[in-house]
Amino acid sequence: MTVSKREVIIIGGGPAGLAAAVKLKQLGIHDLLIIEREKELGGILRQCIHDGFGLTRFKEALSGPEYAQRFKEEVLKLGIDYITDTTVIEISADKQIIAASKEGLKTYQSKAIILTMGCRERTHGAISIPGARPAGVYTAGVAQAYMNLKNIAIGKKVVILGSGDIGLIMARRMTLEGAKVEAVFELQPYPSGLPRNIEQCLNDYSIPLFLSHTVTNIKGTSRLEGITVSQVDERFKPIPGTEKDYECDTLILSVGLIPENELSLLAGVELDERTKGPKVDENFQTSVKGIFAAGNVLHVHDLVDYVSLEAENLAQNVAIYLNNGELDHCSINIETDLNFGYTVPQHISAKKDFKVSMRVKKPYRNCRIDILQSGHIIKSIKMRKAIPAEMIQIPVKWHELKNFETLKVVVVND
Amino acid sequence: MIKEFTCIICPNGCDIEADIENGRVLFTEGEKCKRGITYIEQELINPQRNIATSIEVMGGHLPLASVRLTAPIPKDRIFDVMEEIKKIKIEAPVSIGQIIICDVLSLNSDVIATKEVNKAENFTVQ
Amino acid sequence: MLQLSIQGVMTVEKIYDVIIVGSGVVGSAVARELSRYKLNIAVLEKELDVCSETSGRNSGVLHAGFNNRTGSLMAKYCVEGCLGFDQVAKELNIPFKRTGKMVVGFNEEDLAKLKSLKEQGDKNGVPGLEIVGKDQIKSLAPHIGGEFALYSPMTGILNPFIYTIALAENAHKNGAEFFLDHEVTSIHRSENLYWVNTKKQQFRTKWVINCAGLNSDKIAKMFGIDDYTIYPCRGEYFILDQKAGQYLEMPAYPVPNIKVGGLGIHITPSIDGNILVGPSTEYIDEKDNYASTQKIMDLLIQDGGKIFPYLKREYFIRNFTGIRPKLVGENEGGYADFVIEKRKSIPNSIHLVGIESPGLTSAIPLARRVVELIAQDQSLTENKNFDPDQKGIMNFKEQTTEMKRTLIEKDANYGEIICRCETITKAEILEAIHNPLGVDTVVGIKNRTRAMMGRCQGGYCQTRISELILEEKMKSESEILYSRNGSNMFVGKVRSL
Repeated sequence: MTVSKREVIIIGGGPAGLAAAVKLKQLGIHDLLIIEREKELGGILRQCIHDGFGLTRFKEALSGPEYAQRFKEEVLKLGIDYITDTTVIEISADKQIIAASKEGLKTYQSKAIILTMGCRERTHGAISIPGARPAGVYTAGVAQAYMNLKNIAIGKKVVILGSGDIGLIMARRMTLEGAKVEAVFELQPYPSGLPRNIEQCLNDYSIPLFLSHTVTNIKGTSRLEGITVSQVDERFKPIPGTEKDYECDTLILSVGLIPENELSLLAGVELDERTKGPKVDENFQTSVKGIFAAGNVLHVHDLVDYVSLEAENLAQNVAIYLNNGELDHCSINIETDLNFGYTVPQHISAKKDFKVSMRVKKPYRNCRIDILQSGHIIKSIKMRKAIPAEMIQIPVKWHELKNFETLKVVVVND
Repeated sequence: MIKEFTCIICPNGCDIEADIENGRVLFTEGEKCKRGITYIEQELINPQRNIATSIEVMGGHLPLASVRLTAPIPKDRIFDVMEEIKKIKIEAPVSIGQIIICDVLSLNSDVIATKEVNKAENFTVQ
Repeated sequence: MLQLSIQGVMTVEKIYDVIIVGSGVVGSAVARELSRYKLNIAVLEKELDVCSETSGRNSGVLHAGFNNRTGSLMAKYCVEGCLGFDQVAKELNIPFKRTGKMVVGFNEEDLAKLKSLKEQGDKNGVPGLEIVGKDQIKSLAPHIGGEFALYSPMTGILNPFIYTIALAENAHKNGAEFFLDHEVTSIHRSENLYWVNTKKQQFRTKWVINCAGLNSDKIAKMFGIDDYTIYPCRGEYFILDQKAGQYLEMPAYPVPNIKVGGLGIHITPSIDGNILVGPSTEYIDEKDNYASTQKIMDLLIQDGGKIFPYLKREYFIRNFTGIRPKLVGENEGGYADFVIEKRKSIPNSIHLVGIESPGLTSAIPLARRVVELIAQDQSLTENKNFDPDQKGIMNFKEQTTEMKRTLIEKDANYGEIICRCETITKAEILEAIHNPLGVDTVVGIKNRTRAMMGRCQGGYCQTRISELILEEKMKSESEILYSRNGSNMFVGKVRSL
């Protein structure tokens, strides 16, 4: 049994993996390998055929495949090693990888591993909608894959649960192809997708959005025939008497994304309960030395441009790690108040500049985000608008820190 | 009259309040850049949108090539443009940026492919 | 010489010795037992796969037999089925574990009921029953809450679907023919044969064995037997993540309330490492209403949490429901015994009606009884070629690394991972499609391979499985079915909208 030795192995050839690979190569790390389970590189971008990618990075409104192509071209130009149609089935804390492909079972020993496996969708079962289980209920990403990759139309009369971006994009996509999208229902009192998507995916096509609503029944023995929706109260419980029936043959669920860390767990990587992604430091190193993570596998992003930046940042630190054998110990925690879902990274060293990424749990207007240390505000950002749908990133220079105490991030109404 | 707009030009998605009179923008608040004002002005005269869809590819290693427009077109012509695109069936190979329909419906916008599709190795007619 | 029946379907030329209606666990077990003899056997199944209804929708428990009234057929066949199952699991090569079981109580009233349950079990011939106290509960099953319990070491867990398909495939290997998507519409008797009509073909047979579960009363009526009414009684379940599975060593049941007619909401580890919470007990009107309800889902969380403190909302993967074919209505409550009868006035027909729990455990003993009943009226010649052993689809995930390597070298399709969450390979999916009793519905493939049962519930593999069905079965997009007739997944190609 031959064990192939590598300096760096990148698991997942989507936007994060590709950006990390290109950066590493540019920094002089040549012995790297991207392992991709699909037939092609590009990850989720392959099915995101709408534009809006690359607006900050390339100053162009590209489609997902075009954005991925920019990086694929660099991978080819730089001669970066990659294999496709290969699925990693095991990784260990001592950085051994076993992957399965038609050519055989492959074993690798790597000095560093970069986790860029992306995320999965929250499922129908996880949100336990009462009612029957007919054909015709799809999560938005699956509907998108069928439509944009497999040339398969899933239905004609559509209702969407969840105002997440993927659901909004699919509302427009299906309408353009001739399906009738009846309505979008959102459990929260505010939309979970970006405002520009509400505008150009729903408002443009007069598709109504009902906030504080959820699906309370699914009807149909073999194929979906209709659904019942109800308004919900502040505790998200259906309000009796508000039921409304909709006839439809398709229910699309866009109810959240969850970082996909099954492999990370096999390697003993510690996950953050809040993100469901690995806990990382300012170097994007996880709790296992030499294993790093970036992109959606770490925390769900809304802009691919930020994913590429994050992965490039990670690559710079991996290069240092490989040259020095280790990175600065990061023992200073970053905490948040209850108004934030999470922050990434979860710890820092206070010896170098870093960027804190976070999301608020509910919308704010005219607020201030403060980073505190020992009760003192060391950084403060004013925001006209802060919404859960938009990731907030605040750069901090290490000399702005006062000491080695825990950092706290809070949001204050101005 | 005060009207609210969500600009769709860039990911910021600025909420812009605009004072409109006789179809002219008098005053705006909330935009992070000038493109927001341009957007509102355009929305008042002739809203423009870009669209993306896919076309069937014959003999390719993938069944579809995604396409988009090189420039936005009037919002009210979206479905007309879709009808033109739906008529197209193209043979592999397809390259990114390849013009599928030049100046579709004379709207000053090309339909271009955004996906590379190679010739399939063993292609059989379905 | 093929003839057209009155209904306009072709009559099958071959005349069968036995036709079995229904391929649930009982029908499949009957087919296997009968295939030990030289008989022409056909199984007619109305759905598109075996094990589509009650047999696949339950807790997957091999019951020891202490819950059933002494002297009843349920008690007799359950104990027999439980004792003999190690042999069955070995022959059919199916995963099975004698985990033991706790029936848990909290007060003096409960303790009295537990004692009388033990007494009943002892009388029924169930070995090893013991009343245990809190300390023993803690040492045997540390995560189950309770003051005392009836501990049953013989109780086990299995995958009811894998069990049923193994029975069916073994029956098929030994000569039984299976006709899926063949709903029996009417039966009449002529020339000393039964003419069994389905929507697709008409069959002629000497014997008919009614194993139609929820519709066994409907089939019985076709013979003029009006005595039975099946009252559908739905049970809802939750499935918990395998993360929770580590906390439960064996099924934990509350003290049963006889009047309710169900065993109460219990917690059961599944053989695959998940946990099942349920079932509820609710009489409904339709026999195919598998919907789950908000009311019961809330109840499951509430009641389940009483015996299993580790019940966390975040562990919920999905829910499912099953429908019990009860012979007693809501007003009467409780249980009626198994009905397995052969009437002089209606020759050559055997009816199994009301086979609810412990039907899974009792399947093979019931099948043996069917053989006995047939043997009363005619001599049976042994099938010398009968092979009791069966191998199902090998699970790639469970093999050693070296074995995985060898498998891929021999068959490249083992190297293509289709379901990432459960590590299910293309080779396994192809087996599920092309096996003699293969299927091409998404749910059929799921039940045979475990694909789509992981955390992402098909988010990654569903598109791949659909693609494989299209390729392997040369179907068009609009023909792909999810589970049953009419459950078309797609409209067609994108431009067909």
